[in-house]
Amino acid sequence: MLSFFDHPAIQGGVAPFVVGVVVAALFFRFRLAGLAVAAGFCTAAYFINGFSFTPLTATRKIILLAPAAALIGILCDAFARPARATAVALGLASGALSIWVFWSVLVQKDLLQALALGAGAALWVALVVSLTCGLAAQPVRAGAAGLGLGLGTGAAAVLGATASYGLLGIALGAAAGAFLLAQMILNRKTDAGFTFTLPAGLLAALVGVGSVLLAQLPWHALALLLLAPLAAHVPVPERVSVPVQAVILSALTLAAGAVPAVFMWRAEPGLPF
Amino acid sequence: MKKLVFATIAAAISAPAAAAPETYVIDPRHTFPHFTVNHLGVANIYGRFNRTTGRLILDKAARTGTIEVVLETASIDTGDNERGERKRSRDEHLRSPDFFNAAEFPQMIYKGTATKWNDDTPVEIDGQLTLLGVTRPVRLTVDHFRCLPDPRVGGKREVCGGNATGTLRRSEFGMKFGIPGTSDEIRLLMQFEALRQ
Repeated sequence: MLSFFDHPAIQGGVAPFVVGVVVAALFFRFRLAGLAVAAGFCTAAYFINGFSFTPLTATRKIILLAPAAALIGILCDAFARPARATAVALGLASGALSIWVFWSVLVQKDLLQALALGAGAALWVALVVSLTCGLAAQPVRAGAAGLGLGLGTGAAAVLGATASYGLLGIALGAAAGAFLLAQMILNRKTDAGFTFTLPAGLLAALVGVGSVLLAQLPWHALALLLLAPLAAHVPVPERVSVPVQAVILSALTLAAGAVPAVFMWRAEPGLPF
Repeated sequence: MKKLVFATIAAAISAPAAAAPETYVIDPRHTFPHFTVNHLGVANIYGRFNRTTGRLILDKAARTGTIEVVLETASIDTGDNERGERKRSRDEHLRSPDFFNAAEFPQMIYKGTATKWNDDTPVEIDGQLTLLGVTRPVRLTVDHFRCLPDPRVGGKREVCGGNATGTLRRSEFGMKFGIPGTSDEIRLLMQFEALRQ
């Protein structure tokens, strides 16, 4: 008999969303509502994997990076300007970090294969984090990017044969949605900063790479996920209200995030499992 | 009298050799570790690992023995390896991070020592199973064990083998996905044959 918290919809969707809403509401006044995304991700991770870090597997490294990324994000917001250079620097550092995360998998491959996979993973993570962190000063766009990227990564991971990674991706989307909802309800923008954008971009990118290296998500589907943060850069009139901006940008990022899943579904129709 | 002396000398020479530990290499064609897991509280699903290596070291006279079995996690086979109308087969899902995480942990290893004997036959093995990087104790009960000259090569080498069973909780190894719909308790049914080197 499934208990309430054993249900995947609760673990990957409802619980991270509720925690995201609570954290966004609590910290909105302190301009730290962006903590919602790391808190929501950690909630899902607790239900799905638990907080055990021995041995330190790739999945556990990703979970460990959620609070670490939020903390680094807070420090960056305090001491660095939300400039493009900072976003690129965080992207490059995240790309290098992805090698550490997936080292246990790469080290088992042939040298050439390991180099290709490692370089591909680092490039992908660097691109996603740079694009997402580039939205640090634009909280509605950042929230929409997190929503589309998280849900898109989750859906693609489920189709790539890993439900647990799928739930982690969906949790990111749900928590980003909570961050966005707080702004919509209050009809007021808050600070996303690197506190939101770094965990959102880094965790989504790592969940995506994990779905490729540890399961069966094809690389081309992962590459298509870049459309989600790109869609958040589409110009939207600034004079329209925050909820309208959020709806327009969310529609764009959700549509873009759904492209890989639709692509995979059309290529190979059928139920995930 | 001479015959008696020769027989005594021969026995004296051969006795230590007979008591020495003998190494037997697992025969992968006749060794398939099986398992059962309950699905939805309804039926017990059977699965097995198709690629296994390892060895036994036995000293029947001294009643000591060890076993080391290495299972390739990607070789899991639950009889559902064709996708049909689904995106992925059950075996593909079982290789994913949700279960065996075969890309990161390509092997699971059991190392055990025979701790209880019935005459020269081991009846219980206490060992350690390493799965998903976690090592936990797993006890196997040897239901059947026999050694005999291998009739396939005219008795020129010895073959030993048998069946052993045990249980484990997969959550203790960090494999938590799908509990309780897919049961936490796993029953191991190990059939093995090993050829003396």
